Amino acid sequence: MVTLNQIPVQSASVVTRKTGDEYILVPVAGNIADMDSIYTLNGTGAFIWEQIDGKTDLEEIIKRLTDEYQTDRKTAEDDVKGFIEAMIKAGMVTV
Amino acid sequence: MENFCLNIAGYRLRFEGAPGGPLLFPAQRFSKSILTDDGYDYLIRVNEGECVMPAGSERVFNAPLVEERDGEALIKSHEFWSIHKEGDMIYIKTIFPHNPGMNSGILSLSRNSKEWNLEISSSVTGADPLAWPLDGLLLYYLTVFNGDIMIHASGVDYNGKGFIFSGVSGKGKTTMARLWEEAGAEVIHDDRLIIRRRAGDIFFYNTPVYDDDEPRSAKPAGIFLLEHGRQNMIVPLEGSRAVSNVMANCIQHNWSSEIISGLMDSLSEVCGKIPVARLYFRPAGEIVEFILGNAKIRQTH
Repeated sequence: MVTLNQIPVQSASVVTRKTGDEYILVPVAGNIADMDSIYTLNGTGAFIWEQIDGKTDLEEIIKRLTDEYQTDRKTAEDDVKGFIEAMIKAGMVTV
Repeated sequence: MENFCLNIAGYRLRFEGAPGGPLLFPAQRFSKSILTDDGYDYLIRVNEGECVMPAGSERVFNAPLVEERDGEALIKSHEFWSIHKEGDMIYIKTIFPHNPGMNSGILSLSRNSKEWNLEISSSVTGADPLAWPLDGLLLYYLTVFNGDIMIHASGVDYNGKGFIFSGVSGKGKTTMARLWEEAGAEVIHDDRLIIRRRAGDIFFYNTPVYDDDEPRSAKPAGIFLLEHGRQNMIVPLEGSRAVSNVMANCIQHNWSSEIISGLMDSLSEVCGKIPVARLYFRPAGEIVEFILGNAKIRQTH
């Protein structure tokens, strides 16, 4: 489980493309069997992805999400933690 | 046959046997793609050798040999084909499971050259320089170098209007091609297509898979991603949804960010010009009229 003082970093092994307000994420793979994932991010997912710059910790990302979407702290924290953990599992983010 | 030239997806691919090299015998599926003139876009020189990978090359991608039995994928061998890289050179190493006597081959190619080399290790006198799986691998890197798209899809031409139906195995590509053929359309292919941007237009082409395949092409009016459905329904896709969903059905070797970015660029342009939609369909002839009646799929939502 991630903690609020951790700083997430986008993996260098992922290719991203922004189309409008959405992102497509495709991981670099070394084996044909590993190529089963193309991710599309929109809304809060795209916003959180943009905050992952290798300098900003989760606490700050949650604060920015709260401000941007005028949401309550608990919802924003759940969203950010859930997103980061999913991205770590997919190999798109490290902390 | 010593040398021959093929027209595949509008590319002229010339194969030349090196002096003392193997006699070249293209498989039957290429017979209607053979060109009679000497011009070419790419020259592939074929010679015999031991197929030793150059020292210093790095393996970047590989695929196991998989066989489907009773609907299940079984790995027969972990060493089937692999991609190796050194500088701007790419080496494709493969065995030829369907060609007894042809042991292995290495195709050496570069984005910066129109002349490639194929070395074949063989215990027989004749060689098919496009024996499976080398045919698909060569065509894949040809499309990568030229910004084309190779996709699991069937395609038809109905009175000058082309439609692409994409999906993985079992989604209905062949069924859809058959239904359109019964309605009078020309089937471009029922399994695999190459989409190219040429002189401001977009075309899709077949590649030789079956013995009677001849070069065919059409201009797409729509790209449909197939899903089985209880009723016929079109759900338009735009922007990143269109690109990512079409990309999921493309043939991809995603070992390099350059290759991934190139495919994204090509798909962004194609999906920006050609309507893309998810198509839920019942496998009956009425789907043809349904699609023709909803061909301007961007206007249905």
